[in-house]
Amino acid sequence: MSNSRSSQPEVDQRSGWDFEAATMPFVDSLYNTAYRMTRNAQDAEDLVQETYLKAYRHYDKFQEGNNLKAWLFKIMKNTFINNYRKQQKVPPQSDFADVEGALENRVRGDATERIKNPEEEILESIVDEQVQEALDSLPPDYRMAVVLADLENFSYKEIAEILDVPVGTVMSRLYRGRKQLEEAMLEYARERGYIRSGEPAKMRSRSDDSGDGDEKSA
Amino acid sequence: MMDCSRFEEILFLSCDDGQLEKEIVVSYRRHIELCPDCARRAAFANRLLALVRERCRRASAPERLRRRILSSLPHRTGDVRGREGP
Repeated sequence: MSNSRSSQPEVDQRSGWDFEAATMPFVDSLYNTAYRMTRNAQDAEDLVQETYLKAYRHYDKFQEGNNLKAWLFKIMKNTFINNYRKQQKVPPQSDFADVEGALENRVRGDATERIKNPEEEILESIVDEQVQEALDSLPPDYRMAVVLADLENFSYKEIAEILDVPVGTVMSRLYRGRKQLEEAMLEYARERGYIRSGEPAKMRSRSDDSGDGDEKSA
Repeated sequence: MMDCSRFEEILFLSCDDGQLEKEIVVSYRRHIELCPDCARRAAFANRLLALVRERCRRASAPERLRRRILSSLPHRTGDVRGREGP
């Protein structure tokens, strides 16, 4: 491309404008997800910028008719993982055994708590910042799945494609991520006194210790 | 028939029912019709996820970022910028 102004760059030029027109509508989505992943505006901007440059470079490999948004997200996910691996800020493939263990304990502990107020009030008591915080506190793999599904409305299949994992893995990350999200939010409600500890939970009553439910077993 | 512990396993996916296998959706719906505990549990979890969607405000990408992206794309910065017009 060094011989400017000749007829040669015409093709690149055209695909450049095509690229721009096709991809810029996704900049808000990419930025929001980048922000949720990096938790920092500057890093988010850098990540999105890098994503665009990489996408531009590989645009010829993008197959017409495929899902462009998912393709861009996949590039961003890979860039994110590579950058963080380099900086070793966040383990890209973290081992969640600890997290899951802690979660199990919390869930079990939950069964000994009673909700003082109706669910409505619990939900009302949660402020925006806490929702964001709860989401930000999820381990990266879970957070990514939740953000893609719940904030970007990607399907399981699309998320599987973006994250390079089987659909079953997407489902289990989503499940765990959402469950942890609920836990975190209940924790906020608890701190604010909407839930009292020490008595059986109405919400979570386990089938095996409350005998009055119908249809308990198959 | 689905029981409570099986229901618990899909609770946080029940909001994606359009993507779950039909048999699973049918059997969990049947289950929550008969089990008020699980029905409440599911309603709460789903309201909570709706809350996440509502409250995680989405920002527009900063204008600065758009400009930065556009001005870094080779077809704009390279030797062929004359095409900016019609």
